[in-house]
Amino acid sequence: MNKEQFLKSLDKSLKRLSSDERREIIQDFEEHFAFGLEEGKTEEEIAASLGSPNQIAKELLASHHMEKVEATASTGNIFRAVWAVIGLGFFNLVIVLGPFIALAGVAFAGWATGIAFIVSPLLVLVNAVIYPETFALFDLFLSIMLSGLGLFIAIGMFFATRGLSSGFVRYLQFNVKLVKGGMKHD
Amino acid sequence: MNVQFKKGILEICVLVLLDKQDRYGYELVQKISDKIEISEGSMYPLLRRLTKEGYFTTYFQESTGGPARKYYKLTEQGRNYLHEQMQEWKEFSRAVNQLIEEGVSNE
Repeated sequence: MNKEQFLKSLDKSLKRLSSDERREIIQDFEEHFAFGLEEGKTEEEIAASLGSPNQIAKELLASHHMEKVEATASTGNIFRAVWAVIGLGFFNLVIVLGPFIALAGVAFAGWATGIAFIVSPLLVLVNAVIYPETFALFDLFLSIMLSGLGLFIAIGMFFATRGLSSGFVRYLQFNVKLVKGGMKHD
Repeated sequence: MNVQFKKGILEICVLVLLDKQDRYGYELVQKISDKIEISEGSMYPLLRRLTKEGYFTTYFQESTGGPARKYYKLTEQGRNYLHEQMQEWKEFSRAVNQLIEEGVSNE
């Protein structure tokens, strides 16, 4: 691989980054090539000792996505960070994706239940309009009670979702450290 | 040597090389790759990460003939981190050496 191929391949793998950041990174590597050439190495030798552009891009992307998640924990960001961490190693597929799917499933089920409860009086009323003969006050009161219960569930889910996502971000950070082989004990 | 294990150690190497003087990227990479076998490209993500964490600042300086050099300078925070890491490394390597010696003398 020569310099141009190396830089092109690296640049292509870094599409997700802002153009400023990409330029800086490419500049670092251009500088590296320039000094290597000055020392009399060939472009191919330099590219070979740099290693795979893909691997370099993976490392850059993983730490980039972690920063974004720390700054703003939006769903999209968390999702992208999950993918970036998975990209670090297939080994991680199970330990990252597994808990993520489980947590997302629990959160989804909670919200679905809450929302269904809240709108249940509406369903009773709709039913009463379509089949007036089946209308029973008991159904209406029961559904109003469910609606109240649903409100509590929704409020609970709001805090639970927040707690779950911040807990998961911490789990991701732990994972990046683990994959990167951090020797810290914390 | 194990790749992940090496990465943790590379951090200490970079920090300690910057303790006494500022250096530019290529120089850092060469200093380390002279002694330890690494894929040189992975040093740049490491340098970027440590810079973003506030352990280095960077500045450009023209060099005679060549391209401008991007220099890395250790911050106060970086220096504290280096001392922490060195302490941990010393304890760790002492323990490993001790285990090795015990292992050898038992043979």
